[in-house]
Amino acid sequence: MNLPSVSNSHKTNEIAVSVRGLGLTYTTAIDRRPTLKARVKSLGRGGKQTRVIRALDEVNLDVEYGQVLGIIGSNGAGKSSLMRVIAGILPPTQGRVEVYGSVSTLLALGVGFNPSMSGRDNVYLGGLAAGMSRVEIDSHFEEIAEFSELGDAIDAPMRTYSSGMYARLAFSVAATVRPDILIVDEALSTGDAKFKEKSLNRIKELRSDDRALILVSHAMATLEDVCNDVAWLHKGKLVQRGEPKTVIDAYREFLQVGKSAAIDEDV
Amino acid sequence: MSTPTQVYEPFRAGLPPLRRYWKSLWSRRTFIAEYSRSELREQHFDSAFGQLWLVLNPLLLSAVYFLLIVIIRGSSDSTRYAHLTATLFLFYLVANSLTGGVKSITAGQRLILNTAFPRIMLPISAVVIAIFKFLPTLAVFLVIRTVLGLPFSWQMLWAIPVLLTTMLLALGLAVTISCINVYFRDIASFLPYMTRTLLYLSPILYEAADLKPKLKTLELFNPLFPILDSWSRALVHGQAPISSHLLIALGWAVGIFLVGTYFFLSREREFAVRL
Repeated sequence: MNLPSVSNSHKTNEIAVSVRGLGLTYTTAIDRRPTLKARVKSLGRGGKQTRVIRALDEVNLDVEYGQVLGIIGSNGAGKSSLMRVIAGILPPTQGRVEVYGSVSTLLALGVGFNPSMSGRDNVYLGGLAAGMSRVEIDSHFEEIAEFSELGDAIDAPMRTYSSGMYARLAFSVAATVRPDILIVDEALSTGDAKFKEKSLNRIKELRSDDRALILVSHAMATLEDVCNDVAWLHKGKLVQRGEPKTVIDAYREFLQVGKSAAIDEDV
Repeated sequence: MSTPTQVYEPFRAGLPPLRRYWKSLWSRRTFIAEYSRSELREQHFDSAFGQLWLVLNPLLLSAVYFLLIVIIRGSSDSTRYAHLTATLFLFYLVANSLTGGVKSITAGQRLILNTAFPRIMLPISAVVIAIFKFLPTLAVFLVIRTVLGLPFSWQMLWAIPVLLTTMLLALGLAVTISCINVYFRDIASFLPYMTRTLLYLSPILYEAADLKPKLKTLELFNPLFPILDSWSRALVHGQAPISSHLLIALGWAVGIFLVGTYFFLSREREFAVRL
């Protein structure tokens, strides 16, 4: 597929994202659904209502234009938290994050936030919330609908979608708007084999000198294939950063799973 | 090196930089319009029957109270019925803002977790939806008023500032309750009891002037009291509202809006981890 070229003012090796001494601690409710009733009932018992989570600790990370950075790490390593701080969704507790350019996060256009509305409405609302104009969304919409291969389902309420359809629409939105900085959080491997390949190809197409891509994934083989740089996070700290193969091998060794098929699998 | 487009740093308690917040909110005003449009379309208010239902619902309600007051209590005064309908419709503007607003943040979870935007957009949209639902009922009221043969007068224009005050109050309440619901999710279940109590404490089923002096203190604690009384005076009786009532109403609306917005803005940055 030939994409219209976009003229960005960013040059290769110019800094795209600068993360300095980033720490993120947050207080979250223990109950999934905190209620007044539960709070009143626990009065006097002194039970704790919230717990403090240290998600990121002294993370320093620079991403340059032209880079395709893969982020790896076990569950709870702080990968998604880091992405959310870069996208401005979570405010940092310490440190400073500077972003030079427009950011789009995958799923980030909030697609499907209202399941009773159609896919079309959700794409528009997600885009508008992310700060795009109607005209901009109009100009991308056909491409989004076509890429997602949803057909007529685009006008059906999203509650009728399968999880694969959800993911396809979300991917299509994020990959079509062509931001300066694209963050894809564990969504590379959605959909069936055919769509997986198609989305991977799209990511490859999006690699360009004037764009920075940050991919969070557990699919090591894919990352090794696509990225030119990999960072490994563990328990909120940056462990290693560098050549994809070196870092991934170190991570594999750490996991002591060797080159078993399971981690090459896009699961 | 060029200047960064965005800088994220730790925030101290308190408000975010208001100018930047406002700019960001203003640039997303189409979201609010589009959101209310899609929501109303989804509830079928774009079709003729949907609109009919919008009008029918408050009309049936007023019919129930009409039965109660005019038929059972036996007062056959046409202004009585006009008062009942006018105030009930305005009350539903506030009540709908509350019911729409309470879950606006928790229901927008997916959007909040994945997109950076001024969170206050969500309760604002809920109030805009309530306003769109209110407008046709206002038209119905004017028809009812004409049928009842009540005289029109210029003093009725006082209803405009009263309506604006009500909208501000509704917005303040929606913003506040949407924020509270993040921390206490069962507020939404208490809400029907709260609105019902508010309904009985407000001069809807009775007129403010009929109230026993002993109960006059109600006026002090219910922000809707001076609003509904002024609304009824202007729109039903065609008189200028009592100026102290107008001022008290405005005071309540501005107060609740400022306190609620401060509360919301100082907390909204942590919504993403609370959802």
